[in-house]
Amino acid sequence: MTPPKKKTLQQHALTLLSGANTERFNMATPVSVLRLPKGPDPNSRGFDPKSARFIALCRTSIATSASSETNAEQLPREQHARSVLRETFLRCLLSMTNKKVHFLMHERVKVEATFGASDIDVLNFQVSDLHTPIGVQKEALIRCQDVISFTFDS
Amino acid sequence: MAMRQTPLTCSGHTRPVVDLAFSGITPYGYFLISACKDGKPMLRQGDTGDWIGTFLGHKGAVWGATLNTDATKAATAAADFTAKVWDAVSGDEVLTLAHKHIVKTVNFTQDSTCLLTGGNDKLLRLYDLINPEAAPQEIAGHTSAIKKALWCNNDKQILSAADDKTIRLWDRSSMEEVKQLKFDTSVSSMEYLADGEILVITYGKTIGFYNALSLDLIKTVDAPAPINSASLHPDKDFFVAGGEDFKLYKFDYGTKEELESYKGHFGPVHCVRFSPDGELYASGSEDGTLRLWQTAVGKTYGLWKCVLPEDLGVENSEQLYTSPPEIKA
Repeated sequence: MTPPKKKTLQQHALTLLSGANTERFNMATPVSVLRLPKGPDPNSRGFDPKSARFIALCRTSIATSASSETNAEQLPREQHARSVLRETFLRCLLSMTNKKVHFLMHERVKVEATFGASDIDVLNFQVSDLHTPIGVQKEALIRCQDVISFTFDS
Repeated sequence: MAMRQTPLTCSGHTRPVVDLAFSGITPYGYFLISACKDGKPMLRQGDTGDWIGTFLGHKGAVWGATLNTDATKAATAAADFTAKVWDAVSGDEVLTLAHKHIVKTVNFTQDSTCLLTGGNDKLLRLYDLINPEAAPQEIAGHTSAIKKALWCNNDKQILSAADDKTIRLWDRSSMEEVKQLKFDTSVSSMEYLADGEILVITYGKTIGFYNALSLDLIKTVDAPAPINSASLHPDKDFFVAGGEDFKLYKFDYGTKEELESYKGHFGPVHCVRFSPDGELYASGSEDGTLRLWQTAVGKTYGLWKCVLPEDLGVENSEQLYTSPPEIKA
């Protein structure tokens, strides 16, 4: 009976890495995973309107001002009105770029700044030269939820 | 052949994850919501951890988050002194409920018509979601900030845990205190299982199990480290716990024996919950991540795949798929 061959250090390492000989080294195999969980999209807040759940459960994203049951005749009119309002708002944001805008905010705050841009969910406005009672802020973000109204000369 | 647990890491939060909750099982699966100190609670698909959306609007750390049974509504409790109700399908904010101090906990009734809130103003509030403009009913009694409040006994009663080291049971119709449990130390978490009326409480290194109706003690189990949260499996055969030593522990509920412990988080575990089908449990940590763990390690479920020994040689390339390096919060 020939004595067993001695393993080299490299062969030992290969045995460990391949997961073979688990009884001797007592190494359990980790459970396989198909992929990692998907992370957040940096560009949006999610809630994909194309998902099956959204299409099934969300008829309109905001409840109609009319009664809680969707009136088939009123809905297209209301949607048209909403899209006109939305388009006007977006065009307003576009024409405001680089102009001086006056913001009326909560807590009796009135400030003036040069409008830069809005983020996609209209949560923040990027402005420059924000004039505040305690000085001029070169660059600032204004929280849209704090804004009551804003005016500018087009 | 022994299999080693591969936790699935859900990244995205930038600050500690302090609370998490699962929905019930819906036709679209089940869902998970996480509360985070970064103020941006997230909704995820429960069985995979895939991100679905982020609820944007809170102006402070979110301390509590919950989903209703069919995951159509979400509620969050925040340090900005508000609780918010959200449409969990569109992500839109539906209601903002102003409070007089930090709100810590929110809970829907089974029919989603009433929201229970509690926080640092020591009051429990019941909001009628059908008439949200109406003033909420208030229940006073706790002498310190309320940490957790839950509906129980078919929404006829309320359980609350506060920093005054008590857990109190209240009757919804009379708004009166029915019973009280006193502890020597602060209660760190509370979970309620309607099926079996069991209350799971953690304090110090102990996990206590109580009858939710009578508040009688069923049993206590001690863990090796201070525990922040524990969850009992729906079949009541296991429970899991996590806390200050960053590990997740799995115990046999019947024998109280510690079965497994898992390392993985880079910070204390703040919350742990079993999924509604019991196939996995999720943990939230100071390290800003959520991790999903299999109850039956090696089983094919969600993103986990059972690989049989004869396939090992063929699938070597995908077998040892490890998570990318962790980014510390």
